[in-house]
Amino acid sequence: MTEQNVRELVYRSCLALDREDFDGFLALCDPALHYVVTAYSPEIRKEMTWMEQDLAGMKALLAMVPQHLRRTGSLHRHVSVYQVEAPASDGTIGALSSFLVTHTALDGGSRLFAVGHYHDRIAATGGRHLLKTRRAHLETRDLGIGLHIPI
Amino acid sequence: MTARNAQAWANPPRVPPSHFVSGWVYRDPAIYDAEQAKIFRRVWRFAAHESEMPEAGAYRTFVHACEPMMVVRETGDRFAGFIDRAGPAGARLLPGPAGQCRSTRGLRPCRTAAKWGFVFVTLDPEAPDLDSYLGDALDIFRDVFEGREFSYEVFHFHQAIVEANWKAWQETILDLYHEFMHVVLRRTQMPATAMTARSLRQHRNGHVSIGGLRALYGNYQAYRVRSEGEALPGLTPDDARFTPLFPDTTIIARGTVLRVDTVTPLGPHRTLVESRGLGIKGESPADRRMRIRHHNDYWGPLGRNVPEDAYAAEACERAFGRGAALFQTIARDEDGRGQDDCGLRAFYAEWSRRLGRPACAPTNADAISRGEQEGKP
Repeated sequence: MTEQNVRELVYRSCLALDREDFDGFLALCDPALHYVVTAYSPEIRKEMTWMEQDLAGMKALLAMVPQHLRRTGSLHRHVSVYQVEAPASDGTIGALSSFLVTHTALDGGSRLFAVGHYHDRIAATGGRHLLKTRRAHLETRDLGIGLHIPI
Repeated sequence: MTARNAQAWANPPRVPPSHFVSGWVYRDPAIYDAEQAKIFRRVWRFAAHESEMPEAGAYRTFVHACEPMMVVRETGDRFAGFIDRAGPAGARLLPGPAGQCRSTRGLRPCRTAAKWGFVFVTLDPEAPDLDSYLGDALDIFRDVFEGREFSYEVFHFHQAIVEANWKAWQETILDLYHEFMHVVLRRTQMPATAMTARSLRQHRNGHVSIGGLRALYGNYQAYRVRSEGEALPGLTPDDARFTPLFPDTTIIARGTVLRVDTVTPLGPHRTLVESRGLGIKGESPADRRMRIRHHNDYWGPLGRNVPEDAYAAEACERAFGRGAALFQTIARDEDGRGQDDCGLRAFYAEWSRRLGRPACAPTNADAISRGEQEGKP
């Protein structure tokens, strides 16, 4: 697994989520996926978990998205991969990325929606590079009316 | 079906005055100002949970009735509330939402009281004491809080600015009919019990309590069934009950986890919603993880339900906030069961009493002309 493989996977995962291509996103996930969204609350002075899913949970959740009343418009994830680590003993590689997510409303206006970091581990499984863990840590804690899909 | 002309659409609904609300309540700046003076400055408001101020000197800030406020743990179980502005310029002293307060000297105190770890304040020196204000509205939670050897702890906090009048948010809590909007509730809550098993009680001072709800969590494919051992004391895992306290606070239980919401009006068309999740202090990491998951499933910012409530509040704002919708009907009478609008009627009866004007006709515009919506004096 090269650094380029890692960068491509991070970017492809975001492109799939931007397009709401949930099957495409899930195809990039390792069977052992562990996905969490976290944030720190200065109000209660605690680290918080706002979402935690394994692959089966993520599949079930995404399958239900069309049934929900939810934010209209589209999200766009602008991602910069800052750091790609050396392979760990289990062969996975860690990557740290920054993300800015903008929301474009149906009337065409865009505004900043969320800021944070991805802490990813990428596995080489069956000759493919797959997302094994992702912790999306949000700096932004006011998500307005909220979100039905992963950051 | 009878054809309607423009005048007919502008006429009030043909229901008793207690059963509809004028659209002006959501958009009139004068009504907003009156609400601040006659409601928010007079009521007890939930400020923070005791666990947010774990040691003496710990404080939490918040905004209430347009005032920057703070509560601080003085000693033991004693809390004190203050308006957080001091000096000739009236500047705020505290730099963040929580921390350690070195001194409250020079700050104007306000009445402060706590019940079951929930700390309340009021700006009204003449207000009845907290117990009188709450009355028996929280009795539905007595089993959950009283006589327990443990205390509760806030593990989740998030806030969101919702572009809607504050009452639109409270209505998402009080209006049970809106559960049709949520796929999760259609699958988990509505099939769980008969509508007649529900009980909606109106309490003094505009508070409402709602019980008898259940949920079949396994009916929603992304949820797990909640087991008996996961339930909070006093609750079954499928239990759901809640108490909207007039005007701005709601305590909600869903079997395994608690939520407390507050709304703070920021203007006629803007509302701050703050949401807390609570579990048992000192519980095992596995239990806490379970409770966080259950909280997030419904109520987190990435949950399935609360984002839909916010969506609905903003959608109503788009109709009522600019005068496109003239009246809201709150006329479902179901004998305090099912999806009865009695909770909404209790809320607006108290609102009307405090403002000294009926919610169905709160401005002269209502009285002068039902149809001339442009002609508000």
